[in-house]
Amino acid sequence: MNIRLGAVVLCLLMPSLALAGEYDLTVDRVEIDTGDFVKQGIGYNGKSPGPVLRFKEGETVRINVTNNLDEMTSIHWHGLILPYQQDGVPGISFPGIKPGETFTYEFPIQQAGTYWFHSHSGFQEPDGAYGALVIEPEGREPFRYDREYVVQLTDKHPHSGDRIMRNLKMMPDYYNRKQQTVGEFFSDSSEQGFWNTVRDRLAWGDMRMMKADVEDLQGFTGLINGKGPEQNWTGLFEPGERIRMRFINSSAMTYFDVRIPGLDMTVVQADGNNVQPVTVDEFRIGVAETYDVIVRPRDEQAYTIFAESMGRSGYARATLAPEAGMEAAVPPLREPARLTMADMGNMHGMDHGNMDMGSSDDMAGMDHSSMAGMDHSGMSGMDHGSMMMDNQAQQDPFYARGSGLVPTAANGGKFLSYADLRAQNPLYEEREPTREIELRLTGNMERYSWSINGVKYEDADPIRLKYGERVRFKFVNETMMTHPMHLHGMWSILDVGAGQWNPIKHTINVNPGTTVYMETEVDEPGQWAFHCHLSYHAAAGMFRKVIVEGGPDSQQAKTEVMAEDGGEA
Amino acid sequence: MNASNLIVAGLAFSMSVSAFAAGTHGGGHGHGASIGEPGKASEASRTITVEMHDNYYEPEEIRVKPGETVRFVVQNKGNLVHEFNIGTPGMHEAHQKEMRMMVEHGVIQGNKLNHDMMNMDMGNGHSMKHDDPNSVLLEPGQSREVVWTFANQGNIEFACNVPGHYQSGMYGDVNFE
Repeated sequence: MNIRLGAVVLCLLMPSLALAGEYDLTVDRVEIDTGDFVKQGIGYNGKSPGPVLRFKEGETVRINVTNNLDEMTSIHWHGLILPYQQDGVPGISFPGIKPGETFTYEFPIQQAGTYWFHSHSGFQEPDGAYGALVIEPEGREPFRYDREYVVQLTDKHPHSGDRIMRNLKMMPDYYNRKQQTVGEFFSDSSEQGFWNTVRDRLAWGDMRMMKADVEDLQGFTGLINGKGPEQNWTGLFEPGERIRMRFINSSAMTYFDVRIPGLDMTVVQADGNNVQPVTVDEFRIGVAETYDVIVRPRDEQAYTIFAESMGRSGYARATLAPEAGMEAAVPPLREPARLTMADMGNMHGMDHGNMDMGSSDDMAGMDHSSMAGMDHSGMSGMDHGSMMMDNQAQQDPFYARGSGLVPTAANGGKFLSYADLRAQNPLYEEREPTREIELRLTGNMERYSWSINGVKYEDADPIRLKYGERVRFKFVNETMMTHPMHLHGMWSILDVGAGQWNPIKHTINVNPGTTVYMETEVDEPGQWAFHCHLSYHAAAGMFRKVIVEGGPDSQQAKTEVMAEDGGEA
Repeated sequence: MNASNLIVAGLAFSMSVSAFAAGTHGGGHGHGASIGEPGKASEASRTITVEMHDNYYEPEEIRVKPGETVRFVVQNKGNLVHEFNIGTPGMHEAHQKEMRMMVEHGVIQGNKLNHDMMNMDMGNGHSMKHDDPNSVLLEPGQSREVVWTFANQGNIEFACNVPGHYQSGMYGDVNFE
């Protein structure tokens, strides 16, 4: 009681400290050492990743950002609800921060949870310009834990972002090491017959895609909190403690499948919003997503945090241990998933009915016989046994039926699905959307062109929304790649078929061959970015400007004064 | 819910039996000690109100005297179904498997309970009633009493075993004076 009273008195004495947090960030050229290679990059306060910024819900923050680069920069506060002028996207929210200039962001903190920040200029983010945001709630956390760690993932590539984009434009499979070989053609031929194999290859050629295009950027080193697998970032614990781990995927291009062999993980938050806790053995974290999990290691031993890339071309590794220097075994990479024809569903106009999410009974009754015609060759390396013997015998409804990408837990246990996510505390009343907007995610892999509804950002009109409406977005993925779609400034309510309990996110994965719906309460005036968060897809044109018309007078977008310079990705 | 699911439930479900038997394989947490027994309200020395929120208790710790009988008034102030269950960590762990089954079979549906399903006869006299004297399972807004006579000591927690809730920290400690 005395302690609490003391804290109150302290707050009264220092009102400015309690109400406004002041933070300084410098944007610097830095050296990044992954253990595999050393490269020049960009960081904050002299390091990449930058610092973990800790805010408190209810405070107003002032962040002074000084640009020590010889080029323009910017910082976007990923997932934060704020006035659009503070959102940090050059050409949409503000002109950007010139070399040598200090720009002061100032905005109220209206939410709690795990988020991150990154440059929205050129390829500075893949080059290292990112950091973590942790916001303490005004009230208590609805969980208990003894300690917490930020676990921030990235895919560090030896090439600079500019160089990668040039190479991809020139030769879209430049970084694709997993292409099928002539040797594979002959082994497939002997298993499936020559003509079947030829037909299969011709079909894929038609689509301008390679079967192995799960990842179009390989050759990276996975980092956790800036440390490569050999450098082994380690978080300490005492046996029996509950640990909150704030996973953030700050990769340019890479999805990770995350597990901690020997521990189950209770997911309590996704994209900064608390979800009804669900205990899993493994989860897939899309680019720009966050997941908070609580683990409870009971034994006096080390545990490996293992994050395999979705395409199995690389991994990140870290450790939880009672003492520094302790290590646990590092599992081998599993066989890569191969895309199947099912992942092309939408492009061929085939209706797999895969997104009927109205009732889970439908999924439970999945007809395995319909998978007989599936392209099994694409599933080489997948454990058919564990997939089919799953005790719920359910296909993840967020993957195309028969998809080669459906994840399974390494230990045969529970793998998190979007379908498991339920809001803990819904932010909005459930209501009918006022209208639907269809966004086809489109691209041509052979030219490394990525677009929405077949139109690149530079050629596209903005999406116009009206303040106060609730819009239902229909994403139809017509490409072979998974796209993490990120709408700035307003929440994305992911339709998992749970009505008012649908989870609230800032980034929505749309897997190949699937249709995914999200709804947005248009409650922030101004203009915002809306894009695929894969850096090189956004830069290639899978990007839109969203203009919210109407709203409180003083806050309406002054679109005409906005400079159109600066990078958009 | 189809027929084969029901059969699985009937075979695997035996709430009251395993909840008490589990203390013996609780990984050494239980010390083999009794958790106590249902008490009479007339013998209760005091009343403790325990509020259940999403997903935590208030208070998160109570102190009792050895052998004391306490009348708990348990109130669900959250938006989700919650449990108040007195037991050892090992008992809670065993009970969590049963609660997971209750979710899988649609008995616990986030913010409500399917009472028809709970009362259904699963065969062998088993049901998913969840009517053991050491616990209550409440929908949002509900309130109920548990009168419990504690043993002289033990590693006792009150806990919510709705899947994920205990793991994310919805438990409280019973400390003996």
